[in-house]
Amino acid sequence: MTPTAALSPDGETVKKDGSSAIGAGRPGFLWAAPAAVFFGLFALVPLVMVAVLSFASWDGLSDPEFAGLDNWRKLLDDPVMIKSLWLSVLLTVLGVAVQTPLSILLGVWAAGHQRNRGVLSAIYFVPMLLSVAAVSVLWRAVLDPNMGVPAQATWLFGDGNLFGKQATAIGVLVFVSTWQFTPLHTLIYQGAARAVPQVLYQAAQIDGAGTVRQFFHITLPQLRNAIITSMILMVVGGLTTFDTVLILTQGGPGSDTTISAYYMYQKAFKSFDYGGASAIALLLVLVSTVISLIVVRLSGYDKMRSTMEGL
Amino acid sequence: MKQRARFSRTVVVGGAALALVLSLSGCGGDSDAAGGDTLRVLVYGDAANKVEKEIVATFNKTSKVKAVLDTIPGADYQAKLQTIINSKQAPDVFFNWGGGSIKPFVDAGLLLPLDPFIAEAPDLKAKFLPSVFNSAVVDGTSYGVPMRGTQPVLLFSNGKVLERAGVEPPKTWDDLLAAVKALKADGVTPIALGGGDRWPTLMWFEYLYDRIAGPELFQKALDGDRDAWASPDSRKALSKIRELVDAGAFGTNYDSVKFTDQGSPTLLATGRAGFELMGSWEYSTQQDAHPEFAKSDLGYSAFPSVEDGKGDRANVVGNTNNFYSVLKKTKHPRAAAEFLKLMYSDRFVKAQLAIGNLPTTTNTEGFLDTAASPEFAKFQYDMVKAAPAFQLSWDQAYPQSAATAMYQSLQQFFNGSMDEDAFIKAMQALPTS
Repeated sequence: MTPTAALSPDGETVKKDGSSAIGAGRPGFLWAAPAAVFFGLFALVPLVMVAVLSFASWDGLSDPEFAGLDNWRKLLDDPVMIKSLWLSVLLTVLGVAVQTPLSILLGVWAAGHQRNRGVLSAIYFVPMLLSVAAVSVLWRAVLDPNMGVPAQATWLFGDGNLFGKQATAIGVLVFVSTWQFTPLHTLIYQGAARAVPQVLYQAAQIDGAGTVRQFFHITLPQLRNAIITSMILMVVGGLTTFDTVLILTQGGPGSDTTISAYYMYQKAFKSFDYGGASAIALLLVLVSTVISLIVVRLSGYDKMRSTMEGL
Repeated sequence: MKQRARFSRTVVVGGAALALVLSLSGCGGDSDAAGGDTLRVLVYGDAANKVEKEIVATFNKTSKVKAVLDTIPGADYQAKLQTIINSKQAPDVFFNWGGGSIKPFVDAGLLLPLDPFIAEAPDLKAKFLPSVFNSAVVDGTSYGVPMRGTQPVLLFSNGKVLERAGVEPPKTWDDLLAAVKALKADGVTPIALGGGDRWPTLMWFEYLYDRIAGPELFQKALDGDRDAWASPDSRKALSKIRELVDAGAFGTNYDSVKFTDQGSPTLLATGRAGFELMGSWEYSTQQDAHPEFAKSDLGYSAFPSVEDGKGDRANVVGNTNNFYSVLKKTKHPRAAAEFLKLMYSDRFVKAQLAIGNLPTTTNTEGFLDTAASPEFAKFQYDMVKAAPAFQLSWDQAYPQSAATAMYQSLQQFFNGSMDEDAFIKAMQALPTS
C-alpha cells in the first residue's frame, strides 16, 4: 500500500531535484525492510536459535547447558532417527506417486465440458475445505477394526489390524493424505489443462489422433510446468507431514510410522529434550533443502521453459 | 530535504512494524495480577474442576490471601506446565501426578519441600493413605499432597459373556489362561485391549512384573540398576506376557483399537470381549456410554495371582492419585499450607465422592455410602487401603523423557516385533533421572 502510494509523487520530486534521476525512485534496500524484519524475526532468528540449541542440553526448566556434539552424536546412533528419515522419504515418494496420476486424470477431466462436471468437481473439492485434523479423526473412526468399515468388509481388510502393522499403517497415511490433498492438485491441473491452446487438439484431430493419443502427446507435455509445481508442493507437504501421523498412528506401531517431523515433536514436547529435538529440526532443514534442490535441478524448474514454443 | 523526509518516513513505517512485532512477541509479559495477595492454583482442566472451584471458594471465605484457580484444558497439561513453571507466569500451587512428573522440577530446585509443614501439622501426612502419599515423595522428601481420587487398575469383565462361556473372574494366572481358552472357543475376543493408546498395554506389564517379581524389581530399575531388567524374574514376566498374547487372549487387531475413542470399552459392553484391564475410570466411562451394561453386567476384580510369584496378590498398580505441589518461590507459603489442609476436609471428601472420584484420605471410609456408586467405591477403597504396595504407573514413575521410548518398546514386544533381549536392552537404555 504505502510504497505504491508514495512512488509516483516521490519519483517526480526527486527528478526535479536533479539527483540520481533513475536510482532514487526505485525500490531500495529500505523498502524491503519491513518484510526483511519479519522474515528475520520469525524465520532466521528461530533458525539460528535452533542451531545453537542443537549443541545444548535443555529441558525447558533450567538454563541451557552447552553439550558440544552430544545431541548430534546421539542422533546419528539413534536407530529411530535414521528410520524416521527413511519413513519421511518413503511417505513423500508414495504420496507423489499416488497423488500425481490421480490428480492429473481428475484435473484434465474436470477441465472438459461434460454434463454435471461442475457439480462433481465441487464434490471432489470438499475434502480440501476440511481441516487435516478433522479428516484424520474421521478416517480413524471409519477405519476402526471393530466399529468401522473393516468389520463389514473382512474379505478386504482381514482382521482389520490396519494400524497395527507397518505396511498397512503407512498405507492408511498415504491414503488419507491422498484423499485430502488430491483436490488441491486437481485444481492446479484443471487450470493448467484449460490453458492448453485448443488449436493443438484441433490439429491433432485433423491428423487422426484419438483421445488417448491426444492426452499423452498434447495434454501431458503441456502440463509439464503444472506437474513440476504440484510435485514440489507434494514433496514439501510430504516432508513436513505431522498432523495426520499425530492423530492417526501416533508414530506407531512401535516406531514404524514415526517420521522425522513427528519424532522431533515427541522429543521436544513429550520428552522435553529440546536440544535433541533442535538437532532433528536442523537435520530436517538440511535434508529438505537438499531434496528440494535435487527436485528443482532434475525437473528443470529453475529454467521453467515455456510450453508455448512454436505456437 | 525531500530525500531525508522520505527516508524518515520509511524509518517510521519500518519502526512501526518492528514495534508491532516486539509488542506482539512480548505480550502477556506482565499482565498478571499475581504479585499481590493472590495464591494462584493451576489444575488440569476437566469435569473435576467443579470440586476444585468449590474448595477455592471455601478457602477464600476465611483466608486473607485469595486463591485463584487457573485451568489448562486437556492433554497438553504437562507440556504447558513445563513451559511456564520457571517463568513469571508460574503458579504458586499446581496439579501433578507425583513421581516422575515432578522429579525434573525437584532436580531443578523449583519445589518447596512440604516436610516443615508436616512437622507443624502432622495431619497433612497422617490423614492420607501411606501407599498413595508416598508417590509424591522424591528422594525421601515430601513434595505433594493428594488432591483428587485414586485410580487403581482393575480387571473389568462382562458378566453375561463370562456366564455364557462358563467362566469365573480368574483368581490365578492359570484361571486366566483357562478363561481365555473358553472365551475363544465361544467366539469372542477374550480380552479387549486398546493397544493403539499404548498405555493400556503397559498395564499388563505393570501387573505381571509386580506379581512375579514384587514391586522391588521395578523400584531397583527406576533407581538406576539396569541389571534388574535382565534378571530371571524380569524374563519370567516377559515370557508370561508372550504366553498370553500367543494364546490369542487379545485377538489380533488390538493395536488398531483404542480406549480413548471408546473402542475397547465398546467391545466389552457389547459382549464382543470378556475382560478388559483398565483403570477405575472404566466404570464411569461405561456409565456414560453404556449405562444399562454398567448397571447389570459390568464386573470387576483384582488382578490374578501368579504361581511362585514374589509379589503380593493384594498389590495394586495404577495412578495413585493426583497431587498439589507448591513452588519454592511462592510469596505465600503459609497460605499454601492452609490451602493444602483442605484436601482432607470432610467437605472435600464428600464433594469428590459425589462426582465419582475416590479420595485417599483416612476419613473417606466414613462417607463411602454417599459415593456416586457406593459398592464400587468401597471395593476400590478396601483394595487400595489393604494394598502392601501401590505401584505408580511406569510412564509416570519414569521421567517424561523416557515415555516415548518406553511405549515403543512395550508395543513392539507385545505384538511380537521385538524379542525379549531387544526389549530388555531397550528398557535398560531408558533415562532414569
